[in-house]
Formats: sequence, C-alpha cells, structure tokens
Amino acid sequence: MKKLLGVALGILTAIGGFVDIGDLVTNAVVGARFGFSLVWVVAVGVIGICLFAEMSGRVAAVSGRATFEIIRERLGPRAGGANLVASFAINLLTLTAEIGGIALALHLASSVEPRLWMPVAALAVWLVLWRVKFSIMENVVGLMGLLLIGFAVALFLLGPDWSQVAREITQPAVPEGEHPAAYWYYAVALFGAAMTPYEVFFFSSGAVEEKWTAKSLGQNRLNVFTGFPLGGLLSVAIAGCAAVVLLPHGIEVSTLSQIVLPVAQAGGTLLLAVVIVGIVAATFGAALETALSSGYTLAQYLGWSWGKFRRPAQAARFHVTMMIALLLAVAILMTSVDPVAVTEFSVVFSAVALPLTYIPILVVANDPDYMGARVNGRVANTLGSVYLGIVLVAALAAIPLMIATGAGS
Amino acid sequence: MTTPRRPLARTATRTTRRTTVRTTVRTTATLACVLLATSAALSSCTASRQEPGQAVAAVADAVELADSAVATTNLTVVLLDGGDLVAPVADTAISDQIGELSDASSALTTLVPPDDTSSALRVQGLAALAMAVDAVVSARAWVAHTAGGDLGPDGGVPTDPRDVVDALDEAADQLEAVLTEAGR
Repeated sequence: MKKLLGVALGILTAIGGFVDIGDLVTNAVVGARFGFSLVWVVAVGVIGICLFAEMSGRVAAVSGRATFEIIRERLGPRAGGANLVASFAINLLTLTAEIGGIALALHLASSVEPRLWMPVAALAVWLVLWRVKFSIMENVVGLMGLLLIGFAVALFLLGPDWSQVAREITQPAVPEGEHPAAYWYYAVALFGAAMTPYEVFFFSSGAVEEKWTAKSLGQNRLNVFTGFPLGGLLSVAIAGCAAVVLLPHGIEVSTLSQIVLPVAQAGGTLLLAVVIVGIVAATFGAALETALSSGYTLAQYLGWSWGKFRRPAQAARFHVTMMIALLLAVAILMTSVDPVAVTEFSVVFSAVALPLTYIPILVVANDPDYMGARVNGRVANTLGSVYLGIVLVAALAAIPLMIATGAGS
Repeated sequence: MTTPRRPLARTATRTTRRTTVRTTVRTTATLACVLLATSAALSSCTASRQEPGQAVAAVADAVELADSAVATTNLTVVLLDGGDLVAPVADTAISDQIGELSDASSALTTLVPPDDTSSALRVQGLAALAMAVDAVVSARAWVAHTAGGDLGPDGGVPTDPRDVVDALDEAADQLEAVLTEAGR
C-alpha cells in the first residue's frame, strides 16, 4: 500500500511539476493566435522530454552521478565549461521568468505591484531551499501545482465544438492572416518550453538526492511516462482555453491576467481562485527547481559538495550559488523588464541550448562504462537520434526565426 | 645519437605561434560574425523613418495592440458584472491593458510617417487610441466603484456597466475602422 502511494505521489508530482511560467505563457499566446493548430508541437515536446528525462534518470540511478558531472567527464573541461556557461545563463533567465511569474500571480490575486512581490517571492524561494527537505519540497509544490487542472475543467465547461477541435489538432495548418514564419517561431518556442533543459538537470540531480538505484528504474519510468504526458495535457488545456475564449475576441495574450479570464468565464470565482493558487504553486515549484539547477550545474562541474541531502554548511558553495542566482534574478526583474517578455525569450533561448544538454545524455546513456547492461535499447536509440535531429533543427532555427518575425510579432 | 635540441625547440615555438595565430584569427572571425549579426538584428530598431508600407504596418500593429486591450477590458467588465470575477483580478487585468495602450501610444507617437497616406492613418490611429484610452480608464474607474470605492457619477465615473461596455464597443469600432483602412 505504501509503495502504491509512493508511485501515485510520484505521478501526481510529475503532472503538477510539469507546467511552469514558460508553458503557461507560451501555450496561452499560441492558443489565442493559432487555436489548436500547434498542439502537435506539445505532443512532440512531451515525447522528447519523456525520452530524455527517462534516460537522465536511468543514468543517475545506475551510475549514481548527475548529468553535469558526467557532461564534464565526457566532454572535458573546455567543452563542458562552454556547456556550463550556456546552460547556466539559460537557467538564470528561466529562474528570472519564474520569480517574475510568482510575482505576477500574486499581483493578480492582490492588485499589489509585482515589483513589490519580486523580492518577497525570491526570499520565500530561498527560505524553502535553505530549510525544507527535498522530498517535502518536491511533493507539496508538485501536488499544489495539480490545481492547474482547473484549466482542463474550464475547457470542458466552455464546451468547444470537439469535432472542430479534433480537426484542428489532426490537420494542423497556419491560420489565415498569420505568417508561416510566426507559426514556426511559436512552434520552436513551444518545443523549447516543453523540453526546457533545467527539467533534466533537476530530474537527474533529484534522482541522486533521493538515492535512486537500479531498483528505482520502474518507478522512474512510471513517473515519467505517465506524469509528463498528463502534464502535457494541462499545457494543451491552457492553449485550449485561450483558443476558445480569447481568439474569437481578437485578444493577443501579453499579460498573465489575460490567461485566467477564460477560467473565470467557465467556472466563476471559485475555479479562478483554484487556478491562481495553482499558478503560484507551479511557478514557485519551477523557481525552486531552476534555483536548485543553478547550484547543481555549477557544483557538479566544479566538483563541489552539493545536494539538499547535505546540511547547508556541508555544501556551502552550492547554497551560495543558489543565493547569488536568486539575487541576480531579482536584480534583473528590478530593471522593470517585463517578466512575460523574459519568459518568451527564455523558452526560445532554451530551444537554442537544447543540443548542449541532450547530446551528452544520449552519448552517456549508450556508454557501457557508465551504464553496464542498462545502456539504451534499440527503440530508445532510434527515438533519441530522431529527437537529436529535431533538437538541432529547432536550435538552429530559433534565432533566425526570432529576428525574421520580430520575436513573433 | 643525440637529439638536436635547438631545432626541436624552434619547431615547437613555431607550432605554438601558428596555433596562437590561428586561434586569434578564429576568435576575431567569430567576434566579427557576432557583431555583424547583432548589427543586422538591431538595424531595424534604430530606423525611426520607415518605408511607406512599413509605416502603415507599424500603425496597424499598434492599433491591433490597442484593439486587443479594449477587447480584454470588455471581457473583464462583462465577467465582473456577471459575478464571475473578483475586483482585484479585474483591476489587475485592466491596469495591465492600460500598460498595453501606453505601448501602442508610444509606437504611434514616435513613428515618423514617410508619406501622406501613412501620416493620415497615424492621425486616425491616434484619435481612435485616445478614445480607447478614455474607455479603458473609465472601465477601471467603474471597477473601483464596484469594489466599493468612493468614486461616483460626480467624478465622471460610469455606474452602469452597460455604459462602460458601450464606450468600449465604440472605441473598438473606431480601432477596427483604422485596421480596415490599413488593409488588415
């Protein structure tokens, strides 16, 4: 019974932890502009993140080492260092977006200026990182993030023409009046949002934190292959709500307050309250994960002592890194930069950095020196190679598309 | 057999020098490419004077932004009036849209139209935008009134949501007329 509860908890936290500010904003923007015609990208992204999260979890469980330790060992200090700089920068951008996301969600609930909430949000994140145990932190925030299921309820209550929805999903096309370049720019952004690199750093380091062994592989697969696709459905529901309510009104999503209006229309104030708490939890959880990922990547590359399973005094540089990352994120936000714009840029730059994260994982997952008999099978390798192709195309196309479309405008 | 030390050292020095030169050339080339790409990317941002077609598109983009802000405010007012929204969320939503209108205004006022057509369109756009700003600001005042604030008809604040929606509809019609003129 205890084991069953553990499995259920793992799946639920995987669902609740899947959506972050990048998914929220990008899916709503896309739904309000392109309807359901880009849902296929979410599906492609979810399959990709499942594939590589399972691989990184397996590598961590079998070798007992997290992704960045192995990246440095396999690529050498120079290539590993370049990878670290890029990954750390993208991660910092994502952390900034998440802290901004918490502040915007609290602003929505209170009408108090988001810039007043930003330091409060960062302080709360730091306190949790400093004081709360890894498992409690992961489970509580993941379960509260499940409240975003309110978007799925709202979509159901809005009652769109399901046959039309199915047609848009299965026969995707660039909507009339939209430029194909803008369509593909958002396709890349959605793909970047679904496959954000920090998810893999967090997932593999979390496996080490929770002391996974080869025996944990079954649960790893179950969490990933059940939880992430259901989390992907939440992303689709966010896009769906925007497509059903905002698109017909000609509303272009540029603020978080617009994203919740369809929920209010469908379910009134109660469902709205549920979703706002879900947004705070989802962004807070993602802020914890990205802050931890900054500590993980730097500490693992430089060989410092790391992990929440150690007392802060025993992993001082790891904790200082996270504190500095949080301070930098708040400093960036205090320049009056729009958190939604930061989010949009963070998902596109995530797409650019995808190969840096995923190529080494595929290489290591095929290395018998690390993996023994648990190396990738034929299916994982075939899919992994196909995804590397997709990841490379997305990474190469991201910046030219951003310039050509004026960042999607 | 003794190994000739000097020639070997010279070869090593030459190889090191060649590698250093190659690295410098590579770094310089990379920097040049980055600078070129950055300049290309930023060149569109610095051009305040545009081609006629670009100016019309810029006016239309700003008006579309304003149209979206008006539509968002309209939806917010309808939801608050129907009891589906709470005042703090409505206030945040409308205040966000005032920010969007400010962006639209900035885009229109800083534009230097290159010909009479785009200039006339810009004038129409500014007039429609002013109407949109009035309607959205009134809507926010109505939200404050609904939330129990002291604002009332004496301060020019509408108390009937139908008046707010009518003003927003009228502003939306004006904005859409400009968009039609611009060929959107």
